[in-house]
Amino acid sequence: MTPRERLKHWQRAGREVIHEADAKDLLAQIGVPVPARDPADGRCVAKLCHDAFPHKSDHGLVRLGLSPEAARQAVADMAERVPGGTPLIEAMEEDAVVEWIVGCKRDATFGPIVLAGPGGILVELIDAAEIRLAPTDPQTARAMLNAGPGARLLKGLRGGKPADRDALADLISRISVFFAQNADLISEIEINPVMVRADGNASVARCPVRPRDRGGETGCRIGRAG
Amino acid sequence: MAEPSTNRLSDPRPSVADALDRLFAPRTIAVVGASRTKGKLGQAVLALLRSNGYQGRIIPVNPSGGEIEGLAAVRTLQDIDGPIDVVVLATPVNIALDALEICTRLDVKVVVGVTSGFSEAGTDGHENETRLRRIMEDARFRLIGPNCEGVVRPATNLQLTFSPMFNDLRPGPVAMISQSGALAGLMALRLGERGVGINTIVSSGNETDLTAADLLDYLGGDPQTRVVLCYVEELRAGRRFAEVARRLSQAGKHVVVVKGGRSRAGSRAVRSHTGAMAGDDRVISAVFRETGIIRARESVAAVDAVTALAAGRRPGGNRVGIISVTGGLGVEMTDLAESAGFEVPVLAETTQTALSRYVPFYGSVKNPVDLTGVVLANPTYVGRCLAAVVADPGVDIAIAIITFVPDQQFIAALAQAYDGTDKPVLIVWTGALRSNASGESLRDRAVPVYDSPARAASGLAALIPTHGEVA
Repeated sequence: MTPRERLKHWQRAGREVIHEADAKDLLAQIGVPVPARDPADGRCVAKLCHDAFPHKSDHGLVRLGLSPEAARQAVADMAERVPGGTPLIEAMEEDAVVEWIVGCKRDATFGPIVLAGPGGILVELIDAAEIRLAPTDPQTARAMLNAGPGARLLKGLRGGKPADRDALADLISRISVFFAQNADLISEIEINPVMVRADGNASVARCPVRPRDRGGETGCRIGRAG
Repeated sequence: MAEPSTNRLSDPRPSVADALDRLFAPRTIAVVGASRTKGKLGQAVLALLRSNGYQGRIIPVNPSGGEIEGLAAVRTLQDIDGPIDVVVLATPVNIALDALEICTRLDVKVVVGVTSGFSEAGTDGHENETRLRRIMEDARFRLIGPNCEGVVRPATNLQLTFSPMFNDLRPGPVAMISQSGALAGLMALRLGERGVGINTIVSSGNETDLTAADLLDYLGGDPQTRVVLCYVEELRAGRRFAEVARRLSQAGKHVVVVKGGRSRAGSRAVRSHTGAMAGDDRVISAVFRETGIIRARESVAAVDAVTALAAGRRPGGNRVGIISVTGGLGVEMTDLAESAGFEVPVLAETTQTALSRYVPFYGSVKNPVDLTGVVLANPTYVGRCLAAVVADPGVDIAIAIITFVPDQQFIAALAQAYDGTDKPVLIVWTGALRSNASGESLRDRAVPVYDSPARAASGLAALIPTHGEVA
């Protein structure tokens, strides 16, 4: 299925909120790098994704730093508690230097827009997101990263490594293009946090691994009812 | 296109451009609700059309017929022979809707709906709004309004409004679009007082058909237009408005917008961070900045911005040279300029030497330049000091601050200094405008003149809108 067919399929199935596992499949399909699924070794994140529980950590549906085996056991336990969920085991993303939020929505006045700014728990602290009309090209996305207080964070504060802004700009542009092309089907899409690796490390911006308490969520809402 | 010989013709709905071409240069205007009774809207529309020298054909429409303001009235629109470029509806709402329905069967290009009582009246206007929309489905004309104050075109003596707020405007580079007629009146009057010319004012009202985006496209594309000033509460066709504004700003024109009703977003139910962070007002500011629209906080700040932009001079950078006949105002101006993101650098040695010829030892020639009251001894000194500062290669924008003006020569010297440079020059004139000199020579040149440093700072901010917003 193309991403658009998939969205239509979900809409016909009556889904309004698309949980993280499905949202990430969709993102992977449009060229957004996502964490490796079901890794054979290394530290893992175990989640149970369910449309009805977008804030997974509030419901004990996220566990971090597990071995692959322990992760499988964890999702099995969660599935017993919450039937109908989709298990998601991913490699833990531990080498990010910055966490970003990237979201799109349909604005009542201007139609599709894209937002990007300091993410993760920082969304609770500062509202420093930049907003542009969607779709936005990589150059404009890059300009978003050079504007506002977030720009200093990406350059690396007090000796911190600069983040891979080109990769992040590419991700913002991709999502904005996808959203604008399908804005009749999606009302909102949000990735928080996007884990951004250091620049010059053959790195890519990665999709989230760690939704925080009251912090990050990844998923999308479909349907015109915005 | 050949002119039809009858007024019953089924033309297709005219394009926005065709309709507005006719609206702004109408050969025939029918005023529904034309009246002999002073105080009625239709009477005012007719009287203002006449008194402002409109040369085309005016047809009063009144069920009792006869003669109104010396013009033969028809009893109904159907009695008019030939095409009608513009029909003005200035009656109570039910009569206006009946007339609008008749317009669907006639060769009418544009209807200007002054009449109120539609969506703006909430539930009471709901029935009228429904009927209006149904009629517009069959319309072969375009509609301005309803609930608007009309259209004013100072360059062509077209004054299609009931409001006397738009009299005696001078033609010039500003076009105005306003969902509120009263705010258009306020802004037009203030601009007029400063000598800023206006080519067109459209009070767009409820924008049932033609929107601010349509008008921005048309008026912004007019070669006469340098600045478009808009007051909007609800931005309909917002995406197109933004795209048109982007195109205009890329073409070197300016779009200044006052967006009313900005505090509504706060009460929104919040479901996600994107939803919360991208509240309505944030998005408006962001999109305005992205597309080059200068957002003014309120109407007077917008007038300040337009005053500076209408002069048509672009600064090469953000360095401001300030001269003042008094220390205090120079300091205040400096503070405001710096907090708006401008620099007030020390002037070049040669400039300081030139200024030293006029400035006593207790003044200052560095920047801000404190000329002191001594310079008032000779009426041309302030003008010469302005010329010296504006010639400094380290200055991109000059501001001259004056208080009372001793005589006309003083103003003439300032005007001369203004003519002698391409750099933007703003004047702060705090004294009464009816002091010993007239500001006419400044107004004739559309030199931006402000009555306080704060107002001038709003104008300054518009010249390099780093924050995208003018307070």
